[in-house]
Order: sequence, then C-alpha cells, then structure tokens
Amino acid sequence: MGADNAIPSGQLVPLRTKDEVRASLETHRVYVVEIPARFANTVKDVIQAAIPGFKTAEISHLRRVVQFKYLPAHLQKQFYPPARLQRGDEDTSPISLSPCSTPLPPSPTGDVEIIEEANTEDEDIVRFFVLCPTRFIQHAELFALLRRNPPFTNIPVPPKLLYVTVPALAPTSAEQATMWSETYWPIAYKNTNPYGPHPSLVLRNTIEIESEVHKWLAVAAEAGSEIAALGLGEKIGCVVVDRTRGTSEVIAVAGDCRWRSPSGATEAHLGRGNVMAHSVQRAIAMVAKKRLRMAGADPALLDRSLFCDIPLTDVEKPYWETENIPASGYLCVDLDIYMTHEPCVMCSMAILHSRFRRCIFGTRMPLTGGMTADTIGTLANPGKGLQHGMFWRPSELNWKFLAWEWQSKEKDAEASVKDILHV
Amino acid sequence: MNPEEKVYHERFMREAIAMAELALKSDETPVGCVFVKGGEVIGRGMNETNRTLNGTRHAEFVALAGILSTMPISTLKETDLYVTVEPCVMCASMLRQYGIRAVYFGCWNERFGGTGGVLNIHSDPSVDKPYPVHGGIFREEAIMLLRKFYVQENEKAPEPKQKKTRELKTEILPMDIHAPKSTPSPSLV
Repeated sequence: MGADNAIPSGQLVPLRTKDEVRASLETHRVYVVEIPARFANTVKDVIQAAIPGFKTAEISHLRRVVQFKYLPAHLQKQFYPPARLQRGDEDTSPISLSPCSTPLPPSPTGDVEIIEEANTEDEDIVRFFVLCPTRFIQHAELFALLRRNPPFTNIPVPPKLLYVTVPALAPTSAEQATMWSETYWPIAYKNTNPYGPHPSLVLRNTIEIESEVHKWLAVAAEAGSEIAALGLGEKIGCVVVDRTRGTSEVIAVAGDCRWRSPSGATEAHLGRGNVMAHSVQRAIAMVAKKRLRMAGADPALLDRSLFCDIPLTDVEKPYWETENIPASGYLCVDLDIYMTHEPCVMCSMAILHSRFRRCIFGTRMPLTGGMTADTIGTLANPGKGLQHGMFWRPSELNWKFLAWEWQSKEKDAEASVKDILHV
Repeated sequence: MNPEEKVYHERFMREAIAMAELALKSDETPVGCVFVKGGEVIGRGMNETNRTLNGTRHAEFVALAGILSTMPISTLKETDLYVTVEPCVMCASMLRQYGIRAVYFGCWNERFGGTGGVLNIHSDPSVDKPYPVHGGIFREEAIMLLRKFYVQENEKAPEPKQKKTRELKTEILPMDIHAPKSTPSPSLV
C-alpha cells in the first residue's frame, strides 16, 4: 500500500476554531488614566456607577492596574515620564526604560481586579488604570467625570487620559497571553480556552494519534489514486479509524466517486459530477452499512446506486469485509476520519452530523473547504479561506470535534486536485 | 408573493408535507421534500437516517439519488426544491454544488439550518452560484410534525431522554421558534 516505506515528514497542527481566530484578531481601544495606587478602587467605583452598561468581565483578561515598569516597551516610551501626581516625589529614583518588562505574577482569581504587590514601597507612585473601552463614553464626558471625583478633586493636576489598543477577547493560551503582554497590555491568562478545546485536551489527542497520521493519510491517498486510475473519481480519499480500544482498527476506506454514472460507468469530467459520491459521504455510508450487517439487517436497505457506497477498489474492499465494528454503535461516534484534503462544506457537515470524534486532513482547500476558520490559505491561494471552522462552533451547531491539518514537508501534497474542486 | 404564486408554491409544499407524514409513520424525523421542474414533481424524498443508521440520509439526498439515476445533473439548474424544514448546512451546500435553481421551505432549522437558520450557505462567498431561498410556507404544519416526532421515542439515539413524559405543545407563536437569525436574499433569478 506504500504506507510503511515512506518516512513521515510533517507536522500535525490543530486547527484554530472560528472563535479563536476572532479572539486573536479583534482589538479595540480602552481609556487608561494615571492615578495614585491607593485611588484605584475609588476610580473603579466611579466608572462602575457612571457607566452601568459596562461590565468589567469584558476586560477581565486585562490587568486593570499596572505599574509603569510592567507596561510593554512601546507604551513605556509613549507614556514616559510617568506623572507625579503627589507633591514631593521628585527624588524618586528614575524608572529605567528596560527593554524586557518583568513578567507579572499569575492572576490570583477571576474577579480580583486590583493587582497590587505587598511590597509596594510607595503608594503614591503612579499606576496606569484601565477605565473602560472607548465605545462606552466620550473623551470629554469621561474627563469631566474623573475631574469631579477623587483623586482629581484633591490634586492640582488634571486627569491625563491615554488611549491604548488591547485585545478585545481573552487569550486562548499562555503563549498568547505572554505575547499580548509584550505587544498590547499586561494580560491575565486563566488557563482556560473559552473559544475552543482546552489546550491540554488537544495536546493529549495529538500525542495519541500523531504517530499514525502519516500511515492513514497514505491509505487515504492510495484510495484516491486507485479510484482515479479507474476514472471514477478525483485523487481524493479518506479512512475511518476506530481507536477506542487502544489499537487502531480501520472501519472503512473510500475514494472519491464523483465521475461514476448511475450504471457504474465512467462519466465525462464535466461540471461538479455526483456531489453525493464524495469520499466522505461514501465512507460514512459504508460505516452505516457495516453496522446494519453486524446487526443482522440487510446492508442494502434503501440503497441507491447514486450513493456509491459499495467498495470499488482493492484498497476499499478488505476493510469493508472485516467485521470490526459493534452493531450497537450510534452513527460515527468515537470514530476518527483521515482525509487527503480538507472536506467541502457539505462533507464537513456530514462529519458533524455523524458525530465523529476527530478529523485530520492533508491539504487545505481554501476555496471550498469547510473546516478551517482562518485565512492562511495555501501557496496557490494565500490569504484565502471560507472561514466556516465547522468542527468547533458549539454555540451554533449541535456537535463539535477536534480537527487537525497535516503539514507535510513533501512538496507533492498540494496541487493534486484543482483548487476549485469540492472535496 | 402574489396570491397566484402562493397557490402554486403551496401546492408543492403540500406534497412535501405528505412525504414528511410518511416519514413520521416510518419512525423517521418528519422531513419531506419534492423537486419540481416545469410545474411537475420530478422526485420525492423523506428522511431515512434511522433505518439506514446513516446521519446523512436526509430527504434531499434521498430524492436526488432517485432523480439523478435517470436525469442528468444539468436538470437541476431548472429545478426548485420544496422541503418542509430548511435544508441543513450539509444539504444547503450539496444543493449549491449541484446548481439548484431555488429553495422553498416550511420552518427554519435553528440547530443546523444552512439557508438562514444558522448559516447562509446558499449565499456565502463560494465558487458556486448562489440560489434564492424562501421560507415560511406552511411553517406551522412543519413544526407540528417535528413536535409529534419528538414526543415519540427515538430508540436509535444513545441514552434517550424521558420523552414519554413530554407533552405535545400545540400552540405556535407567530415566530416563536425557528425564526431566522438573518435572511439575506441573493439578488438573482
């Protein structure tokens, strides 16, 4: 089958979810004001009372109160020198513009907003306080509000409102939090991922499957090659694997069958062909028929030749014949699917309808694929992608699963099919 | 939609509902459809997911498997679909890849609708030509059929919920459920 002689050279990369992509791209501006540390709570309450529509949960990923030395380098440059709001502070040792800001200690809990260190030597050193996103209040109105409240009622210096661009949503990993802290504003990472699968879950699953990915993708490619050689389909294929019992069992292998006529002949390669005979559709149907057979029912029940769900090539047949699936299972729950290419929107949803556990594909299809959420695209189509991210949209669709792309170092992976093809 | 058009579309939606009723009698999710070309029904389908153990055997697939066994795919460019429930994301994409002319449906599908209920696969950027959709034809009947099904036991699903204790609600508010989140209509046809 050519599966074992090739050396796996590539990398299994978890797909980013639609919300993760959004979280990584969306920024907005917030107001920041310089205040003495001990007034942080006072100012917080003033903002809260004046802008009831603003919920602090929205900025809970931002450190609310930050010392000058913890600001990212570009803000240190921009805000230098930090204001001296109290009298008699002139002899405080100058704050160095250190290129690497000291990392902050981890955030204690979710809703503690005022982060202060116990050894703060001088309460009157200015702090940079995040007021709220700019969309909640006009600059002049906010300025007047601060002016008529402490500490600005007591000191002769007017409030200095600063604008800072910050990520609009919480980070999805510790790495992202660190990066954002250096480029935007000190960020609190709460060791969760509200926008996708938890990083530890992804890692655990990656480790479980990564040694076999190359093997199954090679079988999928073989399925595509064999069916294409018969003139029945494109060089596209997929493999359904059951890994619930520790070792891997191949349940079904299917190649693309779009150019097969209802009578089984080869059709002219015009238009889109038989959409219902994409390899994923065939594989799902084979799994179902296998379950029917195991249950003692007629696998040909309600069969139609257009579905092309009988094995047609040498690589498909042995896996079809092996009786290795429990009759009692539900759809494709707990099964994994490996595909040569990113599935089209129809097939992505078919995978979702079938309740697959994990989905791994080889080549991205930026013009037709339904799995990816970003617009990384391919060499042929950089910056492109439909951005559906169908594998993980739990608030909209009724199932979610883990998905990866296999980034091969072998160059022949791309351009094996036309880019406008639906896989 | 003028009264004459309304009568025309309702005639075919009535046929789709008959297919959904047949599905309900067969212990299948009551979704039915007909494909219409030149004022004639050229194919019928109903959901067959339970009997086939295949979650993709939706009414649209079943009907098209019949139609395309005798007619060329190009037929669909002059064919309209009437389906009791909004096509799901999968079917919406399938119909677009096949080049369907237009889709008429009963109620929206807020769980995985592909033509306005959840996503807009009929009109989103794609290499395929978009198609127009029109929802809400005999919407109440489509919803009632689904409700009748959900108070029945679905033995195929794992860990079935206590469906026997469920009551059949008969009141349907003007747009209480299955209302579209957005319905951009593609400007064509």
